[in-house]
Formats: sequence, structure tokens, C-alpha cells
Amino acid sequence: MNLRMLRALAICVGAVAMIAGSARAQDAPVKIGAVLSLSGPAAVFGIPERDAIQAIVAKMSSTTKGGRKFEISFYDDKSNPTEATRAVNQAINDKVVAIVGPSTGSGILAAGPIAQRLSTPLIGPAGTLAITDPKNEFYPWIFRAAPSDASDVRAILQDMAKGNAKKVGIFYQEDAYGKTGVDLAREVGPSLGLNVVETASAPYTATDLTAQATKLRNAGAQAVFLQISIAALGSSFVKAARQVGLSVPIYANAGLAQRSFAENVGNEVEGLRIVSIGNLPYDPTPGEAELAKMLEAAGKQPQGWGELTGSNALMAALGAIDRQKGKDITGASMRETLESLCDFDKFARGRVCYSAKDHDGWHEDALVITEVRNKQFRSVP
Amino acid sequence: MIHFVEYVLRGALAGAIYALLAAPMSLLFATARTIDFAVGAYALIAAAVAATIGGIAGAEAGLAAAMLSAAIMSLIFVGLKRLGCEDGIVFALASFGLSAVIESFVLWYWGARSFIVSYVAASWSLGGIRLDQQGLFNLLIAAIVVVILHVVVRHSSLGRMMRASAVNAVGATLAAIPVEGLQMGVYLAGGLLAGLAGLLVLYSAGIDFTAPLGLTLSGFGAAIVFGVGSPLRCLFGGIAMGVAQALASGYLSEALSAMTPFLFILLVLSMRPADTEALAGGRP
Repeated sequence: MNLRMLRALAICVGAVAMIAGSARAQDAPVKIGAVLSLSGPAAVFGIPERDAIQAIVAKMSSTTKGGRKFEISFYDDKSNPTEATRAVNQAINDKVVAIVGPSTGSGILAAGPIAQRLSTPLIGPAGTLAITDPKNEFYPWIFRAAPSDASDVRAILQDMAKGNAKKVGIFYQEDAYGKTGVDLAREVGPSLGLNVVETASAPYTATDLTAQATKLRNAGAQAVFLQISIAALGSSFVKAARQVGLSVPIYANAGLAQRSFAENVGNEVEGLRIVSIGNLPYDPTPGEAELAKMLEAAGKQPQGWGELTGSNALMAALGAIDRQKGKDITGASMRETLESLCDFDKFARGRVCYSAKDHDGWHEDALVITEVRNKQFRSVP
Repeated sequence: MIHFVEYVLRGALAGAIYALLAAPMSLLFATARTIDFAVGAYALIAAAVAATIGGIAGAEAGLAAAMLSAAIMSLIFVGLKRLGCEDGIVFALASFGLSAVIESFVLWYWGARSFIVSYVAASWSLGGIRLDQQGLFNLLIAAIVVVILHVVVRHSSLGRMMRASAVNAVGATLAAIPVEGLQMGVYLAGGLLAGLAGLLVLYSAGIDFTAPLGLTLSGFGAAIVFGVGSPLRCLFGGIAMGVAQALASGYLSEALSAMTPFLFILLVLSMRPADTEALAGGRP
């Protein structure tokens, strides 16, 4: 065997080894991370997100529709941006190619630079406007899995504008979610003929909101907009409003579209209108009903839209994996694929298309106006 | 003027809950010179159990759950003492730890749901100001509890033993006072009072697993504002906190209203000499 033959043999062996290695890489499950708020104040959303992901993974037997095996690892961001950063770092060290989460806007914003540096996209189930601001250096690496806060506020204020109220009072919780809603309502309201006459706020743990309700009543509010995600706070405000004689229509942003709110409040909230991402527990579309069935099969009761946003993020990741059939999947390839992903399998309503200029994907057609009737959210046609 | 009066009245009613949360802190400080920062968690567990079971039985079970949680804290207290710890700050930090454990337990067992009891009390009109019966009931309960505690602490032999235990535990033991037993009993009584506050929060507003820290801080503020050593001062402290909050919510911008009650506490404390006895409301 001369030198030329030896060289040819070595090349053949190398090529076979590469093909075999590549085939093995494609057989190996694709790793996805889920960095969610499983404790702390945002657990009210993080836990339903996790439940939906677990139910879908169980139903799909950890195999995408295109036949690719995948595995999910969960990490708790503890509703804390610092923890979210640490968890994203840990997930990327564990070789995930995409991350569902973090659950909160502040967590996504904190973890964005790490996602950029380590070339792994985040698919965030949060409405916070800033996460997909093109001015962010890490913009290419963040994709949204829910309608933005701007879509939510516009949808509920459009519904409010159909009534007779022109003077609006706003009650909001003292955090970034609350403040963002107030700013958006002030911005959107005038274009719909709504004038924000007064605002009032309270921390999560306020035990009495009659002073805040009195303030809105004294300002002559003809309708009230609630920017709240804590069910107890919403219930407390509505009770307080009725107690102080603030008998005006009340509208709420999606934060209150939680089963525990509808089922535990009393008659005082009858007629309260809430914008929601789908209506999983009460008036589901066929896709939502399918997800609800999966949750029930997993022993979970559908709670609201947390499950839908969690499923949106997971299904976007799985859609991107299936679009890369036969290829090696990396964080960078996931990002590139997500950026042109359109009309993938999902459970929520609305058409979704990501593009280089639109990392939001989800818009107002994913929303529904609901009304509280007999302790249920009924969709308003 | 009518608006001002209305805010003051509403604040006073809201302050009743803070007073109830402050009372166990005062009681424990009077007996062991430490603070139980798990009172908010006791309130949460009481509300969670009461909302789950429902009715009178639920309320009783809620109070029992709060006392059981406080019993765990009392065992931690005794355990730390047996290990030679005498520093009140260590017991206080341990209670923070227990609070986190209870909060996590509620999140694990009940999930992230809020505990709300659908109950709207009738309102009474006072000079055109509508006040709901639940708020007045809360204030009445807080006042009765605090007055009873004040009488016990200040004018009974049990109170004298409690105060002796705090001032000089060794001397009290030599005088045949069961110091450790007394202190454990005070922890249990604190659990009962915090549980009662939790039930009133449940029936007034609703509560969720994020509440403990906020409730504890409000109670702590009410306890220290006029001196932590006297339950009666806790009632006034709670009412003052509630009124400060209501006036701030009514007249100030949201950014200022959030910090006003704590600025109020800071202001009151800064006007007093800063040592333990002054904090307790006694002579420096």
C-alpha cells in the first residue's frame, strides 16, 4: 500500500466518521431550556406556563411533529432578573439551543445580553414592550410569545370606547407592569376619545383600597381601567369601588384573566370586562380546547392565558426545529429559523409570523374581550 | 374638608389590620426582646386554610394552622437558645427563614392562586361617608384584642412575668418564672393573633402567596412607630400608618404615596433617641 492509497483511505475513514457523527448528532435529542418563574410573584404565570409545556411534551412523547426527538429542562428564575440571568447562563451551559422564557419582561431584559453573547435565542412569554425594542443590542436574539402590552391596552380601551364613558380613572399595581399600562393608556386613550382624569396605585399586598377608589370617584371617573395581575388586588379594588359608591363600568387588562379571580369573586364583579389571550378555561377555540384536554390529562386544571403563552413559546421552538430537518441545530440556526417562522402548529388563536423586523409575532387577533358572568369569563362576540 | 375626613376614616379602618399584625410583635418584644417576622406568613396560612375549608370550621382550622406554624417557630427559638444563642437578631432572622418556608409551602400546595372570599358587608353612612361593616368590624376586633393584651402585659402578674423574662431572663428563672415556657406561649399567642389578622384580610380584601413580606413590614411599621413595647401603642401605630397611607393615596402622586407611610415612620423614629428602650417606647 503506497502513500497515496493510505491518504485516500484516511480521507474515506474521516468522511465516514463525519457522516456517522452527524447522523448521531441528528439522532440526539435537541435540548430546549425553559427558564420560568416557578416561585415569587410571577409564579402566577410561570407555573401555568410550565404545566402547559409539561402537558404538551407528555402528549408529543418528546418528539416533534417532524419526528425529531427533543428534551426540555426547567429552571426557576424566581421572578427575579438576577436569577433569570443566572438560569439562562446555566441553561446555555447545559447545551440548549433555545430558551423558553424567562417569564417576566425584566428577566428577559436582564438575560438578553447573555443570550446574545452565547448565541442562543430567548422566546419570551411576556408582554413587556421593551423586550423586542429594535434599539436593544440583543434584539436579534429575543422573540415574543404573547401579544405585547400595547396590543392588550389598545384592545381593552377600544372596547371601553364603545360605551358612553369619556373620563377614565386608572388603578394599577406598583410595579413595571402597572406603570407600563398607565403610560400606554395615557398614550392610546386620547386617540379613542378617552381622557385619563385620575390614576391611583397600590402595592401587591395592600389590604384596603377604599382610599384609591375614593380618589377615582372624586375625580369623576365614568369608567375605570385596572392594570393589575394580582387577583386579590383586583377583587379588593372592585369591592372597595362598590363600597365607596364608585358605580361605573370597570375594564381590566389581561393580568386579571385568571381562573382564581373569576371563580372566587362575588357578584360585585358581574359585567367586568377583561381582555385575555384566548379563553382557555371557559370559551376555548378548538385549538385551545385541545390544549385544555392535554392539561386535564396531565391532572392540571386550565387556569387562563399562562398556559397559552407557555405553549406559544414551546410550539415556536418546535416549529423552528422541524424547519431544520436533516440539519445540525445550534442556537444560531434556531435564531435564523425563528426569524422567518410563520404559521407553525400552535394552540392559541391568531396568525403568527416572525420576521427580521417583527420579533413580536403575536398581535391583537390573539386576544379576546371577555366579560365576567356567573363566575366565568365569557367571550364577548 | 369632607374628603379629608373620609380619607382619615378609611385609613383608620385599614390600620386595624396593621395593628393586629403589630400586636404579636409587641408581645414577643415585651417577653423575649426579639421580633417574629413570620407573622405575615402565619396570616397567609390561616387565610389559605380558611378559604379552602370554608365556613366557621375553615376559620377555626386556619387559626389552628397559624398556631401550628408559630409553634414551629417557638421550637426553633428554643432550639437556638439551647445551642447558646441569646441574640434577639438571630431569632428574628430565623423567623424570616420560616416565613420563606411557609410561603413556599403555600405556593407548592395551593399553587399561585389568590385566596378570596366573596363577601361584601353592608355599608353604613356616616355624614354622607359610606363605611362598610367589615372595616368597622376589623377595627372593633383590633381594639378589643389590643386592649386585652395591654391589660395582660401591663396590669397582670402574667404580664409582669413576661416583662421580667425580657429584662433579665436569668433573674426571672431564679425567681421561679418559667421563662422558656412563657416565651413559647407568646409565640403561640402571636400565631393566633396573626392568624386572626389573616382571616380579616381574607374577608376584607383577599390574599395570595406574595403577601407575607408586605404584611410583616406593615405590621412592623405599626409596631415600632410609637414604641414596640406596648400593644396599645401598636393600635395607634396601625391607625397612624393606615391614615398616612390613605391621605398619601388621596392627595399625593403615586410615586410619593408609595413611600409616604415609611417616610412617616422614619420621621417619627428620627425624633426619638435611638436605643432599645426608646424603641420599646420607654425612657432612654
